[in-house]
Amino acid sequence: MTFEQRLADIVRGMKAQGLVRLVGVHDGAHFIEKPDPVLVLTGFKSMGPCAVVLGDSGGRVLVVTPAWDAARAERICPGVRVVSADDVVEGLAALKLGAGATGSAGIDMLPFGIASRLVALMPGTVGADNVVFDAARTKTDTEISHAREATRIAELGYARLLDMAKPGVTEDELAVDQRWHAKSLGAEDNFVLLCAGPHNKAVAPSHGRALQEGDSIVVELTPSYRGQLVQICRTIVIGQANDLMREKYALVVKAMHAGIAAAQPGRPMADVCRAINAVLEAEGYGEFCYPPHIRRRGHGLGFGSIEPGDVALDNDTILEPGMLFMIHPNQYLPEVGYLLCGEPVLITATCGVPLTAQFAALAEVGV
Amino acid sequence: MRTMHPTLLIGPADWDAQRMPRAEFQGRLDALWRDHPQAGGVIVYGDAADHGALAYLTNFTPKLEPGIALLSRSGEAALLVGGGINMIPAAKPLTWVEKMLPLRSIAKSVPQWAMKLAGGTLLVGGDAMPYAMHGELFAALGTAPEDATPTLQSHRRRKSVRELSLIRQASTVPGKAAQALALARDRNVTDAVIAAEYAAWQAGAQDVRSLFSLDGGRSLVPFDVPVAEPADPMQVYLAVRVGGYWAEGFVMLGAKPNASLDAAKSALQAAVAQLRPGVTPATLTQTLTKSGTHPAALPAVIGIGLAVQEDLPLNEPLAAGTVLSLRAGVLGEHSGVIVSALVAVTETGSDVLWSAP
Repeated sequence: MTFEQRLADIVRGMKAQGLVRLVGVHDGAHFIEKPDPVLVLTGFKSMGPCAVVLGDSGGRVLVVTPAWDAARAERICPGVRVVSADDVVEGLAALKLGAGATGSAGIDMLPFGIASRLVALMPGTVGADNVVFDAARTKTDTEISHAREATRIAELGYARLLDMAKPGVTEDELAVDQRWHAKSLGAEDNFVLLCAGPHNKAVAPSHGRALQEGDSIVVELTPSYRGQLVQICRTIVIGQANDLMREKYALVVKAMHAGIAAAQPGRPMADVCRAINAVLEAEGYGEFCYPPHIRRRGHGLGFGSIEPGDVALDNDTILEPGMLFMIHPNQYLPEVGYLLCGEPVLITATCGVPLTAQFAALAEVGV
Repeated sequence: MRTMHPTLLIGPADWDAQRMPRAEFQGRLDALWRDHPQAGGVIVYGDAADHGALAYLTNFTPKLEPGIALLSRSGEAALLVGGGINMIPAAKPLTWVEKMLPLRSIAKSVPQWAMKLAGGTLLVGGDAMPYAMHGELFAALGTAPEDATPTLQSHRRRKSVRELSLIRQASTVPGKAAQALALARDRNVTDAVIAAEYAAWQAGAQDVRSLFSLDGGRSLVPFDVPVAEPADPMQVYLAVRVGGYWAEGFVMLGAKPNASLDAAKSALQAAVAQLRPGVTPATLTQTLTKSGTHPAALPAVIGIGLAVQEDLPLNEPLAAGTVLSLRAGVLGEHSGVIVSALVAVTETGSDVLWSAP
C-alpha cells in the first residue's frame, strides 16, 4: 500500500461518515502510545502543535508551529499547502473553514489549553479518530521499509548494550548511550525503557542505580526511523545465569514463538494473546496471565497509527497483511522476576514474520 | 526553543538532597501559600513535555507518563505516578515526596484529598493536562480550582543561590559540546552534531536537544534524516539539561569572514552591557534586533531554568536572579546568523554564563 492509497481510503471513510473535511491535530509531544493524525495524513513529524485539514477532494492544508518550521514541512510534504503560524488554533481560525460537517482526530490527546480553544473554534465537530487511524491499521510500503531499518538499528544497539553492560555502570548511563547510539545510526528517537535489579517487578524508566553482579537488565529498545517505531525486548544477566533463570526464560521465549505462530492473517489479535497465555498456563502461571500482573502481550507501533492495538484478550481486530505490531510475553514469574522478550512482527499474506535477524535469547555478560 | 520532543526522557534525574535540599522545596511552597492565603492545597500537573512547575515543587521529572502532585498546606504530600503501580519504585529516587500512588482513578483520589483540605484548592499546569483528564478532574471536583500557574511562573523567574549554582554547572556543558562540534565539523553535518551531543551526554547532561541549519543559517531543522555533507557556515542550536536546569545557545562556525556575524555579535554585546536589574526584556529586544531580523523570527529574549523556555513578560523590569538567553541575529537573502549569550542578572549588572566564542 502506498501513502496515496491510504489517503484515498481516509477520504472514502470521511465521505461515508458524511464529513466534508477532517481536522487532525497533534501537539508535538511525541509518545509511543499517542497516535499522530498529522503524521498519518501528511508524513510530517512536528516539533510544535500542528493541524492538518483534509478536504473531501483530498486536498490538504497543514498549519505548522513554530512558524519557522514551515520550510521543513514544505520539503517533507510536497503537494500539501503549508501555512505557518505562531499559534495552531489561530492558524486554523485564519483558514475560515466554512460550513459543512467536520470531523476531528487527536483532540482528546491534546493539552487542555489547545483542545478547549479548538472545541470552541469548531463547535459541532464529530470525533473521527477511527477514520484516520483505522485506515492506517496497515503500514505503507515506505513505513515497512522504515520499520526494517529501525529494527536493524535496534539490533545494533542491543549488541552495543551487551558490550557496555557491566557492574558499576548505571542504568541512566546505558539508557543515554542507547539514545545517542541509535541517533548516530540514523534514528531520530529511541524509547529506551531500561532497568535492572536482582528481581525486577517490571520494566521502568532508568534511574541512577549502578549495576551489580547477579542483576538482570530488562530493556525495551525502540528506535524510530523517519517516524516509524520498532521495538525489541531483551533480558541480560550480569554474570552467569542460574539454571532456573535459563529454564524460565526458555519458557517465555516458547510463549513468544507460540504467539508469533498464531499471528496469521484472518485470525483475531486475541488469538495471539491466548496462544502466549496457553504456554504459560500449562506451566502453572495462569494467575500471572491476567491483570494486575499483565495487561497485554504486545502493542501497535506508531508514531502514526498505533493500530491494530494491543495484543490482548479483548482485541477482536482481524489481522491483515501489512499490520505491524510487537509480540512480547514480557512476563513476571515469581521465581526469577520480570522477563522481557519480544519481536516486531509483520503480518504477510500467509503468516507473521519477525523483522529481527536474531530472536530474543537470554544474554549473559561477563563480570 | 522548540526542538523535536523525545518519546521518553532518559537522562539522570534522581533527587540530590545535597544540591537541592528539602528545605528549598518547602520555601517554594511557603511562598505559594503566602500568595494564596485561602488555599489549603495545590494540584500540580506535569508530563514529559511540560513539567517545570512539577519539578520546581517536587523535583520530579515524569520521564514516561504524567505525574500529579497533591501538596497540602499542612505538609502532606503525595505524588500520583502514571504507568501503574509497578512504575512507583522507579519514580521514588526522583523526588522528596514519599507517598506515591498510581495516577489511575484521579476522579476518586483527587476529590478525596481535596475534601480534607483546610481551604481552597489551587491548580498548576491545568492547561498542559490532556483534554480528557482535565474534564474528568473538573467534573469530579465539582468546582473549578483556582489557577495558580501564573503565581508559580512568577516565583520561578528569580533563581535562588542553589538554582544559580546548578545553572552555572549546566552552563559549562554547551561549551564542551561546541568544542566537539568544531572538531567534527569538517566530516558532515550529522557527524558533527552527533559529536556535540555525545560530548554533552558525557559531561553529565540529562537531556540534549539540537537544531542545525542546512541553508547557510537562514533556518533551523531538527535531526530527521542523516546529512552526509558538511556545512559552511555551520549554525547549530544546542540545549542541555543538567541537574534539572537548562542551558542553551547558538554556535556559528565558518571559515570565511562574515559581516553579519560581526553585526550580530555587536548587538549581543550591547545588550549584555545594558542588562541590569530594572531593564525590561522589551528594551533588550530593541537592542538585540538592531542588527537585523532574526532568522526564524526567534524571540530575542527568553527566560530559562527548569524549562528551556520560561514565561517572561516583555514589559516587566528584570530582577536579580533572573536567567536569560539573549539572541541577536541577521537574516540575509542567502544566509543568516544567530548568536546568543546565557546570562544571569546580578544586583549590579549581569554575568555571562555561556556564549559561543
